[in-house]
Amino acid sequence: MVILAIGMLIPVGYVIEATARIGVDELATLLLRPRVGELLGNTVLILVLGVPITILLGVGSAWLVERTDLPGRRFFAILTVAPLAIPAFVSSYGWASVVPSIQGLGGGLLVATLAYYPLVYLPALATLRGLNPSLEESARSLGLKERAVLLRVVLPQLRLAILGGGLIVALHLLSEYGAFAFIRFDTFTTAIVVAYQSTFAGPSAASLGIVLALLSVIVLGIEATARGRARYAYVGSGNARPAQLVKLGKFTPLAILALVTIATLATVVPMVSVIRWSLATKPEMLDGLWRALVDTSLLSLGGAIGAIVVALPVAWLATRHPSRLSRVLEGGYSIASSLPAIIVALALVTVTLNVAPGLYQTAATVTAAYVIIFLPRALVTLRAGLAQVPESLEEAARALGTPPLLARLRVTIPLLFPAIAAAGALVALGAANELTATLLLAPTGTRTLATQFWSAASSIDYAGAAPYAISLVLLSIPAVALLFAQTRGRTR
Amino acid sequence: MKRILTVTATLAAASLLLSGCTGITSTDDDGAVVDASEEALVVYNAQHEQLAQEWVDEFTAQTGIDVVLRNGGDSELGNQLIAEGDASRADVFLTENSPAMSLVENAGLLAPVDPATLDLVPEQYRPTSGMWTGIAARSAVFVYNPDLLNESELPASILDLHDPSWKGNWGGAPAGADFQAIVSAILETQGTDATSAWLTGMKDNATIYRNNIVTMKAVNAGEVAGGIIYHYYWFRDSDSGGENSGNTKLHYFGEQDPGAFVSISGGGVLKSSKNPDQAQQFLAFLAGVSGQTILGEGYSFEYPVGSDVPAKDPLPTLDSLNAPIIDPSTLNGPEVLDLMTQAGLL
Amino acid sequence: MKLHISGVSKSFGPTPVLTDIGFDVAQGSRTAIVGPSGCGKTTLLRLIAGFVEPDSGEISLGDRVLAAPGRSVPAHRRGIGYVAQDGALFPHLSVAANIGFGLPRAGRTERIVEVMKLTSLDAALVSRYPHQLSGGQQQRVALARALAPRPEVVLLDEPFSALDTGLREQTRAAVITALERSGTTTVLVTHDQEEALSFGDGVAVMMRGSLPQSGSPESVFGNPGTAEIAALMGSIVLLPAVRFGNEIDSALGRISVRHDRSAGAESVSAMVRPSQVSLSVDLTHGSALVTGVRYIGPTAVVSLRTLGDPPIALSLAIPALQAQSLAVGAVVGLKVDGGAVLYSASATIH
Repeated sequence: MVILAIGMLIPVGYVIEATARIGVDELATLLLRPRVGELLGNTVLILVLGVPITILLGVGSAWLVERTDLPGRRFFAILTVAPLAIPAFVSSYGWASVVPSIQGLGGGLLVATLAYYPLVYLPALATLRGLNPSLEESARSLGLKERAVLLRVVLPQLRLAILGGGLIVALHLLSEYGAFAFIRFDTFTTAIVVAYQSTFAGPSAASLGIVLALLSVIVLGIEATARGRARYAYVGSGNARPAQLVKLGKFTPLAILALVTIATLATVVPMVSVIRWSLATKPEMLDGLWRALVDTSLLSLGGAIGAIVVALPVAWLATRHPSRLSRVLEGGYSIASSLPAIIVALALVTVTLNVAPGLYQTAATVTAAYVIIFLPRALVTLRAGLAQVPESLEEAARALGTPPLLARLRVTIPLLFPAIAAAGALVALGAANELTATLLLAPTGTRTLATQFWSAASSIDYAGAAPYAISLVLLSIPAVALLFAQTRGRTR
Repeated sequence: MKRILTVTATLAAASLLLSGCTGITSTDDDGAVVDASEEALVVYNAQHEQLAQEWVDEFTAQTGIDVVLRNGGDSELGNQLIAEGDASRADVFLTENSPAMSLVENAGLLAPVDPATLDLVPEQYRPTSGMWTGIAARSAVFVYNPDLLNESELPASILDLHDPSWKGNWGGAPAGADFQAIVSAILETQGTDATSAWLTGMKDNATIYRNNIVTMKAVNAGEVAGGIIYHYYWFRDSDSGGENSGNTKLHYFGEQDPGAFVSISGGGVLKSSKNPDQAQQFLAFLAGVSGQTILGEGYSFEYPVGSDVPAKDPLPTLDSLNAPIIDPSTLNGPEVLDLMTQAGLL
Repeated sequence: MKLHISGVSKSFGPTPVLTDIGFDVAQGSRTAIVGPSGCGKTTLLRLIAGFVEPDSGEISLGDRVLAAPGRSVPAHRRGIGYVAQDGALFPHLSVAANIGFGLPRAGRTERIVEVMKLTSLDAALVSRYPHQLSGGQQQRVALARALAPRPEVVLLDEPFSALDTGLREQTRAAVITALERSGTTTVLVTHDQEEALSFGDGVAVMMRGSLPQSGSPESVFGNPGTAEIAALMGSIVLLPAVRFGNEIDSALGRISVRHDRSAGAESVSAMVRPSQVSLSVDLTHGSALVTGVRYIGPTAVVSLRTLGDPPIALSLAIPALQAQSLAVGAVVGLKVDGGAVLYSASATIH
């Protein structure tokens, strides 16, 4: 347990250690220069502009498909979540090949907000479904108009979903590499990759990493402050009674136009471009695909198993024996996991080289990175699953003469199996799409779909990259379907 | 709690086992499983993957020795080798440019190259130390879009590009080792202050691209009038239809201008190699007729430097480029990076 | 075998939940532990089951010590059956697999059939899954599962509380029959005094983590140790009264003393049950003002206020036909049968 905790805290430790190692003076020299100012400006701008736009898109479309009489709501509900299946760097590649001049902050905003708004849309949708309609009915009976009901009753209840989704978007924006590198938008993460490529894991990369880690912690802090004492409410058993739908009336065409536009920009443009390029793919370009699929599957599977192994005891402690220790562990994990993948990768490069050279450049290390990066996915799913398996079942088994471990195996594990499978799938699919850490940590000779895509796309070999892009999208669909089903299932 | 740990330990073991599998084995192109840790030769390759693969396939066909490539950039792999030190699994290091190779040489990590191999390469294409050898060469060029730039407006020297009149009119990829090698040539010929000033001018004037191909594509699309790249990107694209180069022309600076710099791609054997004989054999193959012929006839359009193999048609001969004469081992990688970092290009 | 509990205490952190609990359950008998929610009764049951270990005290079954300072037999080796509030049926297993969960392979099928018959479960349910059963069926399956391994003791934690009134009676009857037939020693916890009184041979009252009284249902109901216990076991009327030898004088007139728990004091609180009070035309014993009459089908609830000082309010349930002559504001006579239980005058009820 403690060893696992230490493992998870490697990235945090790395940042602290790097600060100490480089020293304040050199750090000042490395950081107090115009280039860092530019990066800071870009990174802060994409956060300040990107997060509100994703919230607007996410909450707006969730409200339209859940609470209005929009025709084809079910279709739009699925269409709106579709971009989640397209890795941001694939979407960026799609856009860059359609509109070659796309670049900079504007391009970054376009690609990133379209790729990430579903991260707000899903929690908003889940919350909207779980809201008690009698609150809105009470507000109406107190004389509030539709718009006032929306602003004064519905939106405040969405606060946690908005904050949670916004936080995830912000962390994604901080850690995104591929999508931004494509369109020449420099952030700390892209600059760290450049520094790594120029000087390996030296002070230059580390110093930028320290700033990036600080930015992540600041983002976490802002979200925690805005959330205040409120906790993420468990979106409960839901309501048998659906909420009354808002009549869009003459705004119906406008709403449809908005959703169709979002879907076109976020899904149709990148996918059409990917498919168009795949038509130009020559058969020999497919040679490496099978092998990349195998390598990707093995690494992702390792990551999934690892994440479950780490998450299960933590989730167990948190749901069955909540204590200060379990809260500290969870808090530590969430900070470690909020650090961008590039920092996790830098930390693991440094640690394995200096402490455990035997692990350096092995699949075990990539797997460890996946575990650290994707642990929250496993944790959330397993906790929800464990909460559904009452402890009384295990007790009943014990009272029937079954020893505790056997009781767990015969009762809890079978019941938890769907949650374990879901957690595993979410982590595995995340790992399959992971680019930054994989680029830095992959063992010699290992090629994943993401790295192969990146290698081809970087040489403007659009046709060669297309099969990998399509594979990545196909692989992502089950995870998105799972997430979408979870959103629905909770309020069924 | 103890029981959970037992279960998790079992799962952990299983996952390690699984990841262990991917760590040790990887499949070569025939789909056969190769054990990377023992028998196969590990090559840290900063050359183009496709070119390296052509070499490796031919080498394996001739000798039966399996080779595993770890691909990366010059500086990344060079610094990685230094960080790894004696623990490195690398047997051979291949670069696109010489500064990263010098870095590894100066760290004392290279073993002397077989004299027979050195004899295959003329002196100007290898360092005097004999710790590594040139295996290919590439020339800096100015690619430009004739719609945006008349021949009369072309820069006479790469140094002219820092003039304010070039603001917004040229592009480059300073994050890559290719460009950094060109800067090291400027540093070698012009000194620190002039280089620093030139880099500041570049920061003001140039549009920054991710790599040579993207730079060329931007020039081709008319996004920018000209760019500094290496020659073979243009010839390769031109050879396969010119999709990203059809609207462009090449301008050679010549006259021993730093912009006419010819960069030497190097190959060296690591002192820590566990397969030194096979590693030397691989280097001899690269510098030999077979390896050089792949350069002279293959897809890459890089210049052969050894065994008197001629360059691929329609490349101008290396001698005709009138490049500045620079000993490849004198190029200073780290100082270039410092200067570029100071200029805000990195 | 006798279940013996003595001196058992348990705290969760700084909060004491149980203090110095002791009682015995005779072999084959049924004891109900009754108390308000939060009094610690479920914790006591979990201590007996072995899910929680006591801080001090001893729990033994016959001559086998189950829990004592420093040692505790784990739940799965105690041979004590447990039926949770919601039944805790394994949702992934069929009825047969649930019932057979604690059984050895040999003879499992036969025993499943046997226990299902014992608990009056239709044999057709055998392959159903828990979510396909009614609440009452679920509880009987849970009992069947607990009884299947022939435990020496079975513990029931509010097993009927989740059921509708009608179903509750029916299920309770079926469960009592099954327990009687199997002769299993049983401990039930409940907050429902009626359930406790009707369940079995013994009732133990639990309040704020201790057991102030236990005994037969008749003695606990008829001779409660304190006014608070009296109120817990059913509605009461508490009257200030003055003793006259073996009788008392109160707002309800002169009443005989059934039990004296006031240590012979002169001024006392006298407890009678509303069911002991009847209306009378004779105003000389006690009298009261009718303040309301409410009809509930065949019954009428008459609200009264005594005329003395302080006025005492009480409600009587009488047949509706008898109430028709009563008007609000009328004065009626009252008569108490069966005597009162006396507590010291300071006794109040919460």
